Amino acid sequence: MTDWTFRADRVTKTYDGGKTYANRDVSITVGPGEVYGLLGPNGAGKSTLVKQVIGLLKPTSGSITLGDHDLVADPNAARQLCSYLPQAPMPIESFKVHEAVRLTGEIRGGHRPAIEKRAKELIEALQISEWNDTLGTKLSGGVRRLVGFIMVTVVPGQVVILDEPTNDVDPLRRRLLWEQVRLLGEMGAAVFLVTHNVLEAEKSVDRLAVIANGEILAEGTPSSFKVADRGKLRLQLMLAPGLPTPELPPLVLQHSRVGNVLMSVIEEDRAGDGISWAQRMLSDGVAEEYALGATTLEDAYIRLTGDVPEAAVRVES
Amino acid sequence: MLRWHLTSMRLVVPVMVVVQILIAAGFSVGMSLFFEEVPPRAALFLGTGAGVINLILVGLIVSPQLVAAEKEAGTYDFTWSLPVPRSASVVAWVILSSIVSIPAMLAALVVAWLRFDLGLSVSLAVIPAVGLVVVCGTMIGYAIAQAIERPSITQLLSQVLAFGVLGFTPITFPLENLPTWLASVHQVLPFYHMGVVVRAGLTDGLVSDVSRSYLILSAWTLVAGLVTALVLGRRK
Repeated sequence: MTDWTFRADRVTKTYDGGKTYANRDVSITVGPGEVYGLLGPNGAGKSTLVKQVIGLLKPTSGSITLGDHDLVADPNAARQLCSYLPQAPMPIESFKVHEAVRLTGEIRGGHRPAIEKRAKELIEALQISEWNDTLGTKLSGGVRRLVGFIMVTVVPGQVVILDEPTNDVDPLRRRLLWEQVRLLGEMGAAVFLVTHNVLEAEKSVDRLAVIANGEILAEGTPSSFKVADRGKLRLQLMLAPGLPTPELPPLVLQHSRVGNVLMSVIEEDRAGDGISWAQRMLSDGVAEEYALGATTLEDAYIRLTGDVPEAAVRVES
Repeated sequence: MLRWHLTSMRLVVPVMVVVQILIAAGFSVGMSLFFEEVPPRAALFLGTGAGVINLILVGLIVSPQLVAAEKEAGTYDFTWSLPVPRSASVVAWVILSSIVSIPAMLAALVVAWLRFDLGLSVSLAVIPAVGLVVVCGTMIGYAIAQAIERPSITQLLSQVLAFGVLGFTPITFPLENLPTWLASVHQVLPFYHMGVVVRAGLTDGLVSDVSRSYLILSAWTLVAGLVTALVLGRRK
């Protein structure tokens, strides 16, 4: 039984003769069938890392292996064994959707009937059948992204690298895409997921690492991240537009504001006081809605990186 | 992989073919407007040369521009990550260049033949000649496009080359017309020799020392090939 474990060992990537660190001592292990998330703010070094896996960049030091294969020494093997969905749009302007998928599948070594079957399944699963015959230039950004996903997974590699797969994709199809990501893991591929959509990633990854400034800050399962937040709740207020942040009662442990959404973390046993305060805000006209729920991975993420992800603008219902 | 490159160019190729044909035909006819009556020898050089200019333009300039444009858009990453041997891309580009430039070359020839009543004697030697010119031009262009990091520099270089090739290369006129120093430079550069080998296949007795030209072109192709091989394997 071949060992298909993916290992990045102390990968470091520097530029300008060692002055700038894009990645510093990054070590990650992903087993086959695992969905591994790489979360971090813009410029954290996520895309740089995955580009070194697929052989577009070369690490300054460190090793990247997949089972017995040294992916740094053998970039041809890297391309053969890994499929890669880049962050940039796919170059498929002149391709019809089914053409792009079929051709990529064949280039990846698949057989025609199997490719056709799987392509059909994926296109239907992601609900983009109506664009099957449409040229790339005429597709919206979101549909193009989905097509890119299908191109990369119609004949998936041993490792599937997805760099921001849900960019521009509408909420319904985003959910469908995450389902397919999970299914990829069940098919046995090791899925390497780069995203800044913390909440959605939380539901589909087995383990994740938070990376910032080229270094891994923390690693573990989504639950392990929230351990520090155990016994705490998230209280979210939708403020009336144009108002400054109101004075916060001491029961608020930490808070952040994105647009008109004020997120705060409070102790579990102060839930009652939290609700009273929120209701007061409502009757005073300071807030329009509030919601109380469990803390999410996002709160841990914000705590670690100090970065508030754009996706954090929803009031949970 | 060829299908990939061809399909990705599908929307652009027909336009490119037409444009090239127009350039070639226009060049042939346009040149004649410079003189009231074009001397037959000059006409022969012109007619046989115009097509070669096209072959060079496409391989040396158009292909690198396309590659540079993709790099600029950032969309090259995906193509680059596909599990195909790097050589497959080179072959695809050569074939693509041929498809775009050969019709134009024929057009230039036909137009010139009609306009100037050229005395051509076509031999089979024209086939390997054209083949070598296309391969050589494409390889050099590809090497430039891949070797130069910044797409904007590649595009600038292509424009400069286009200008240089169109204006100062002894393809549409004999080498003797150039000042001595420039003539010597062109003995080394591939362009003059491209003109020679194609002309040899199209005319009789107009050019000499053809085998030397073949040698020089082959040498250039090899060098370009080596540079390409080195550069393609490189990662930042």
